[in-house]
Amino acid sequence: MIDTIEKEDNIISEEEAAQYDRQIRLWGLDAQKRLRGSRVLLVGLRGLGAEVAKNLILAGVKGLTLLDHEQVTEESRRAQFLIPVDADGQNQAQASLERAQLLNPMVEVKVDTDAVESKPDDFFFQFDAVCLTRCSKDLMVRVDQLCASRNIKVFCGDVYGYHGYMFSDLGQEHHYVEEKPKVVKGSNEANDGPEAKKGKVDPNETTMVKKTISFCSLKEALEVDWTNEKAKSSLKRTPADYFLLQVLLKFRTDKGRDPQPDSFAEDSQLFLQIRDDVLETMGLSSELLPNTFVRYLQMQKLMGGLDAPHRNFFFFDGLKGSGVVDYFGSK
Amino acid sequence: LEPTMTQLVGPLRKELADSLFSCRVLVVGAGGIGCELLKNLVLTGFKNIEVIDLDTIDVSNLNRQFLFQKKHVGKSKAQVAKESVLRFCPSANITAYHDSIMNPDYNMEFFRNFQLVMNALDNRAARNHVNRMCLAADIPLIESGTAGYLGQVTVIKKGQTECYECQPKPTQKTFPGCTIRNTPSEPIHCIVWAKYLFNQLFGEEDADREVSPDTADPEAAWNPADAAARATASDQDGDIKRVSTKEWARSTGYDPVKLFNKLFKDDIMYLLTMDKLWKKRKAPLPLDWTEIQQIESSQEESCGMGLKDQQVLGVQGYTQLFRRSVETLRSQLIEKGEGAELVWDKDDPSAMDFVSAAANLRMNVFSMNMKSRFDVKSMAGNIIPAIATTNAVIAGLIVLEALKILNSDFDQCRTIFLNKQPNPRKKLLVPCALDRPNSNCYVCASKPEVTVKLNVHKTIVQALQDKILKEKFGMVAPDVQIEDGKGTILISSEEGETEANNNKFLSGFGIRNGSRLQADDFLQDYTLLVNVIHSEELEKDVEFEVVGDAPDKAPAPSAPEEGKNIANGNKDSAQPSTSSKAAAEDDDVLIIDSDEEPSSSTMEASPESSNRKRKHHDADDAASKRKRLDQQPSDDDEDIIALD
Repeated sequence: MIDTIEKEDNIISEEEAAQYDRQIRLWGLDAQKRLRGSRVLLVGLRGLGAEVAKNLILAGVKGLTLLDHEQVTEESRRAQFLIPVDADGQNQAQASLERAQLLNPMVEVKVDTDAVESKPDDFFFQFDAVCLTRCSKDLMVRVDQLCASRNIKVFCGDVYGYHGYMFSDLGQEHHYVEEKPKVVKGSNEANDGPEAKKGKVDPNETTMVKKTISFCSLKEALEVDWTNEKAKSSLKRTPADYFLLQVLLKFRTDKGRDPQPDSFAEDSQLFLQIRDDVLETMGLSSELLPNTFVRYLQMQKLMGGLDAPHRNFFFFDGLKGSGVVDYFGSK
Repeated sequence: LEPTMTQLVGPLRKELADSLFSCRVLVVGAGGIGCELLKNLVLTGFKNIEVIDLDTIDVSNLNRQFLFQKKHVGKSKAQVAKESVLRFCPSANITAYHDSIMNPDYNMEFFRNFQLVMNALDNRAARNHVNRMCLAADIPLIESGTAGYLGQVTVIKKGQTECYECQPKPTQKTFPGCTIRNTPSEPIHCIVWAKYLFNQLFGEEDADREVSPDTADPEAAWNPADAAARATASDQDGDIKRVSTKEWARSTGYDPVKLFNKLFKDDIMYLLTMDKLWKKRKAPLPLDWTEIQQIESSQEESCGMGLKDQQVLGVQGYTQLFRRSVETLRSQLIEKGEGAELVWDKDDPSAMDFVSAAANLRMNVFSMNMKSRFDVKSMAGNIIPAIATTNAVIAGLIVLEALKILNSDFDQCRTIFLNKQPNPRKKLLVPCALDRPNSNCYVCASKPEVTVKLNVHKTIVQALQDKILKEKFGMVAPDVQIEDGKGTILISSEEGETEANNNKFLSGFGIRNGSRLQADDFLQDYTLLVNVIHSEELEKDVEFEVVGDAPDKAPAPSAPEEGKNIANGNKDSAQPSTSSKAAAEDDDVLIIDSDEEPSSSTMEASPESSNRKRKHHDADDAASKRKRLDQQPSDDDEDIIALD
């Protein structure tokens, strides 16, 4: 859907040109137009969701739907900056709407207070991209599958303490362009005497090269077989965060929530239990997963089609300050 | 299991929570990084925050400085940022200053109020200054910067890490006068020329920034007397140097046609007589106003697809633009009255039109492909592209480092680079160990010392103060004594005291080869010993050289070259670093400080014009300084700590 730019969207207004100037200078006018033609769904409006909402709205997407069925609590209010202080008890997405809209009046910001699990398949088909936070593994796998058939981009992400992850599925055939410096041959306009005769790289001139890569489904990415030799040998270079993610997703499925500091004792026990189970099922040792956690993560994926996208996981470890991109699934 | 920061369990966590609640932090800058940082600080639980920014809000800020809305354009960034934050965190205790951090009010005592300082700046002068203040007050400083998709965070702690100035940073690229005036070969040369031209015609004239053909060009090896007879010099007097460009322009009533013909025809023909220059170069082709008018005015396609600004016009188009902008600027001058001067401002449409037109006409003369106004503006205004997300990531990393510092986990602190693509080790975020201070650092060493090569017979005291001590060595208000046994005072930071010395040559004070000067900046608590080496063999256009400096490098490409990423694996974690140069070459990006051209006479000017701007700064009293802050908005663009 965002591969073609609709006729009406060809013109960039003076207002947009002025406001988006600094980003147009980075990713180009074409990418800005694509953004401006994109409709995005964002599920979950806690800390991570608010950040994603802010970034997408500032970037200038056509529309952003904020979907969250939960209510504002003191905890959720302190986690993000869009909800006003007197909004306890209101729906989280609804409470975030006003401030989100004010970030950029040119974006259509909408609210949906339903639970994402209750949405029929065709609900998702109206979007060009879907961002899922705080969702169960089953839901994410389901949404990812049905979006793949429609070439809708899917991004999943969560934050746990000092750790965070992001997963992206941009489809079997994702097209993008890369800017490469142009090599100029022969004498050209630059009047540099003898040197002008040699072919040289002109730092000011670049050329756009088209590329295609493929992404696997979330299901595949989470069901990697670790029992074969090849996988085992790659273990050393595999971020532990991948396994942490597996454990946390299972915790979320079993318990219906994430580990909480309030129930530290009970949760830590359950967590370790699940860790043992999950790793055993994978045929791996529990030693793979130390107990460290997340703080911040940004989902900063652009749908501008520019540059090689990160493929397909991004793991952030706030204690080490490291951010790693890695691929899991069939290549 | 470690819980999230806002909900704390266990004795250690409680200490950290308490310190967040009670500590006072200073945020310098409320722009791209600043907005994200303020949000992060209050959400994390920091209670006492002071934020300072001299800038006002511009519409181009709104794509990322999310605490600001359209209705806030023109207002103080620090003030509006504070108000916006209080709306989602009313219990935060925020003090906002609409002011320059270089104002002497913010002295060591002021800095000592804080447990931590975090920079969110966009220019080197301020970074140097805050670096020194934090060293002087012994307060930890978190430095950061972004440009496009790239970013960087680091921690500076006196005595434990490198300071901001331990490693020399590439200075902003300047071009030799003869390249600008005689033999431009790249669009940037023409753009710089056009900016000089703007000032010569409409603004403050600068003897160092001439636009007319440079007859003293060593490459021309040209006999003045001889060529004077041959030249079709535009000036009636026959000697280009005697009448200033502005005087001449005034005498013609700023006639666009006359200006055009002088700049793009007569002066070019003059250059052509310097035939040695064109032996190996393509000779310039003069333009003629009348001829251009007669060209079939081709319908320059107004392509609805792109931005109007991104069109590249033809010679005729730029000629029209030249004429229109000259006429507009002329009326602006008239309006301002006798002796008025305009100040270059990339956001002033006519000023930008003028530079765009003049630069392109010159490019055309010198057979270069012309550029759109959009591109010219980027180059002329040193605009750095910027987006919200990079700043958000960096601001997040800043807070994580802040927590380590407050938790006294100093050995966990790192320099972290944010790249555009993962490196061969799959890292998008690359942490590197912090380096120990450079024992020869001219700022943080115990007795900082430098050696400067200059011509004592040709360097005046004012130049020593402005170009060497302030611009090069980052002092704000230097006091200088000669170590001649008598302690002769050469420069006093007190206004008026040593004004009489300004235009005298250094040699007039007995300064010669081997002399030593003691320069102090009391605000920065900084003493620098300057060893003078007299030299008569400096390159043309070079007033001084700092001995031991690496030669100026051209700006590096902004993407890390894959070839360089030979795994300096030990850089990537808690192991001690072997050399900071390795860190720079490994995974990070060599990023150049690039001060964006401010839109009016604000404090933080780019090095190009900083001389004049700083002069204004000194001469004014506090009241008018503050007043200037309320003038036109100036852009802020984050630049980055450069590593060599």
